[in-house]
Amino acid sequence: MTVIRNSVLSSAKPSSPHQSRLRMVAPSDDSVNRVLERAFAPLHKRALGVAVGATVAMVVFAVTVFHIIARPIDIPIDLVSQYFYGYDTTWRGALIGVWWGFISGFVAGWFLAFLRNFMVATWIFVVRTKASLAQTQDFLDHI
Amino acid sequence: MANQLTVEEEQALRRTILRASEQGWGIAMGLLLGVGLFLATIILVLKGGPNPGPHLGLVRIYFPGYSVTWIGSIIGFIYAFVVGYAIGRTIATIYNRLIQRR
Repeated sequence: MTVIRNSVLSSAKPSSPHQSRLRMVAPSDDSVNRVLERAFAPLHKRALGVAVGATVAMVVFAVTVFHIIARPIDIPIDLVSQYFYGYDTTWRGALIGVWWGFISGFVAGWFLAFLRNFMVATWIFVVRTKASLAQTQDFLDHI
Repeated sequence: MANQLTVEEEQALRRTILRASEQGWGIAMGLLLGVGLFLATIILVLKGGPNPGPHLGLVRIYFPGYSVTWIGSIIGFIYAFVVGYAIGRTIATIYNRLIQRR
């Protein structure tokens, strides 16, 4: 994996026969496109949703366990049940919080990836359109 | 001369391209949470009053040593950065594992 990544990013002369073989497979002309592809690669929405969901679930579980063990009275964490139906500061409530945390985190992560991909795609479209218009702006000079 | 990658190489390249930087995500999330708590604290300190930020001050239960003061803002930044870094790094790690399995 690292070797392939190096072949994508490298434009210098190969320092070993192994790199030389890779450069034959991935010539430098393609490497520019691959660097651009890497820079503008879309996020995988479902994967980011699962990743954020799992992380939020872990955080909710950890915070709930902290409240079960330490019992701080200043923070009414039970109010979370206003959003996470069935949640409370018990072990059962912690599991319900894990479920709701995963759901809400998944939605947030999926939407974050969607928005990021949408904005990158829009930006690329705008840049391409501007470049296309710039190529034809002297159209009247040729008539 | 073969200019095209094999199927396996294309898949490996695609997985590499899709990978998220774990350290990058960690630092980004750390700064997001850290600066967020820092600014929230500073704004309340600047507003002043006899007991500034009674609700934000409850963060001390999770972050021992934190308070709505100038020093507390620095302590809160460090705590929030560490927590945010852990969260960001966890997200990127899980994301990369899932991408590798595709």
